Amino acid sequence: MARLALRNLSRNRRRTLLSAGIVALGCALSLVVLGFVERSRALIQETTVQQFGNLQIADPKLLDGKAEGFEYLVSPAVRAQVEGLVRPERGVVGTTAQLSLSGLLAVRRTTAVVRAVGVVPENDVLDYNDLVVTGRGLRADDVGTVLVGQTLADELGLRPGDFVNLTATTVAGAFNVSPLEVVGLFRFSSAEVERAQVFVPLAFAQLLLATDGVDRIVVRLDRLGRTWAAARAIGARLAAAQLPLEVRTWDVLSPFYRGLSGFFDLLFGFLVAAVFILVFFIVLQILTLSFLERTREVGTIRALGTRRGEVFGLFVEESLWLGLAGGGIGVVAGVGISLLFNAAGIPWQPPGTVQAVTLGVDFTAPVILIPFGVSVISTVASAFLPAYQATRVSVVDALRAV
Amino acid sequence: MQRSSFCYVAGTPVLETQGLTKHYTLGQETVRALDRVDFTAVQGDFAVVNGPSGSGKTTLLNMLALIDRPSEGEVLFEGRPTRRLSEGELALLRREKIGLVFQTFNLIPVLSVAENVEYPLLLTKTPRGERRGRVAARLEEVGLSGFEKRRPDELSGGQRQRVAVARALVTAPRIVLADEPTANLDSATGRQIMELLQGLNRDHCVTFLVVTHDPSVLDYAQRVLTIRDGRIQGEEKRGAPRPA
Ligand SMILES: Nc1ncnc2c1ncn2[C@@H]1O[C@H](COP(=O)(O)OP(=O)(O)O)[C@@H](O)[C@H]1O
Ligand SMILES: [Mg+2]
Repeated sequence: MARLALRNLSRNRRRTLLSAGIVALGCALSLVVLGFVERSRALIQETTVQQFGNLQIADPKLLDGKAEGFEYLVSPAVRAQVEGLVRPERGVVGTTAQLSLSGLLAVRRTTAVVRAVGVVPENDVLDYNDLVVTGRGLRADDVGTVLVGQTLADELGLRPGDFVNLTATTVAGAFNVSPLEVVGLFRFSSAEVERAQVFVPLAFAQLLLATDGVDRIVVRLDRLGRTWAAARAIGARLAAAQLPLEVRTWDVLSPFYRGLSGFFDLLFGFLVAAVFILVFFIVLQILTLSFLERTREVGTIRALGTRRGEVFGLFVEESLWLGLAGGGIGVVAGVGISLLFNAAGIPWQPPGTVQAVTLGVDFTAPVILIPFGVSVISTVASAFLPAYQATRVSVVDALRAV
Repeated sequence: MQRSSFCYVAGTPVLETQGLTKHYTLGQETVRALDRVDFTAVQGDFAVVNGPSGSGKTTLLNMLALIDRPSEGEVLFEGRPTRRLSEGELALLRREKIGLVFQTFNLIPVLSVAENVEYPLLLTKTPRGERRGRVAARLEEVGLSGFEKRRPDELSGGQRQRVAVARALVTAPRIVLADEPTANLDSATGRQIMELLQGLNRDHCVTFLVVTHDPSVLDYAQRVLTIRDGRIQGEEKRGAPRPA
């Protein structure tokens, strides 16, 4: 029976090639788009982890933006305890701590509201020195220094060597102000970060707020893929130690990533749906015609004792071979196109970012399997109705058909 | 063929109709294509139903072949009524016990000669080795050894009908029904086909029922039934007795 299904494809070679070609086109197209989306997602993942680390451990009130005072601060003792809990986890490269504050950055007569992120300078987990494009990064022995984003620097006319004043409210509620020397300008993929965020040494942030606490502990892992397993394990340990802290993963921490990733999924879902609805209807037309032409043969084989279900199966099997062939050709074509595309190395600057990236197509298993699977499924699905119709005709009527 | 033993039961009814009636409704009018036909085909028969075009031959054959259902009356296969059988049960009966030969040969064009003959054996899930042997034997009987790999469109009309005969015989059915098997062939080829059927009947005790309007077919019959306007008008026995 498989033989008959396969042979039936050789009946009208041009028509078979046309249908397989349409399936292949749909498959190749979605493979390229999916691979492209995956590459873009991977690029964004990288920059997101660059910004947030893999994991952050902090008071949920801080993470959810519900803190009213500084009650979320983590004391040095708790920080040491947490670091002790994190370190044994597999894949942990290291930890660092941050203390962020909102303040007013003043240069001459101009001011800007900024979020100053206090970081341990020259730590190997998450420091932002590699973003510096002009001047230098923060150094281990720095205190009164700051890294300013290129965008903010342009707006305020700042250059390395200039001094600014940063005003903030201490933990106790008093005003505090301190001068800072701009030592470097940084660029970041997000213009928003470049405008509203500055980096200061952790020691300076603690001094300005008059505290010895930090607001979060950042964990770096050796692989992105370990993020979620590590988060679960560390979260369980924190709970067991009855610490009022939570673990958040990088994807949850970045509203930008979450939004974009959701948008990518939607975009891709929509495109794939559109392509395959189109494929479905074109192949449906072709198969309807092809099955209808064989009405008399259906009458013959049913007269010989083939049951309705077997005729249905025969047609569906035929479409399965068609789908497998079309999908297979599509995968080969899609991979070929993608390799050419990758070789071309086309640069692109995404909107809202400051650095161009190289566009490309990633081949992960889902990038190949999803379009292939959807090709086969939509081809088989398009056979259902005409196959069903073919089995509904009475044997006598089918035998009389021309 | 190992089927000669079947002739011991020559005379047992294979197909029987009781008051078989079929009408078609066309708008206001009702066409009585078959009118209370009582007929019995027995094991070893070579019966020919003869009548002009439109007399109801195909309608009768379709009902005997269990591919159409009567309006009234009953078709008994090996003594068992078939009216209450489901589509699926009828299909199983057809694949195992009925051979069909069509006016237009009705071979499957994408399958080779051997594959066409093999097809009914795939339906009955016959093991591969047995299939091979049976296909080869039937092709030899119809004189087409060496044509196994040909496609139907590479054959003459007579050769195609021989393939169809081999296909009808391959499951060793209780009866072979043929609807105008010579109508699409020139008269010499038609005679060769009828001689083939006659030989199979005589030497291998295959039961045949042929419907036709071709008078030359009557020469091969043991029984000739005349049908007109959906009614069997009479029956003539033509001896041509088988050697016992
Ligand atoms: N499906 C049908 N609908 C209406 N009338 C039909 C149908 N099939 C056969 N008939 C009529 O029944 C009669 C017998 O037809 P048929 O059995 O084909 O005759 P034959 O095979 O002897 O030429 C004819 O009058 C034909 O027009
Ligand atoms: Mg007829």
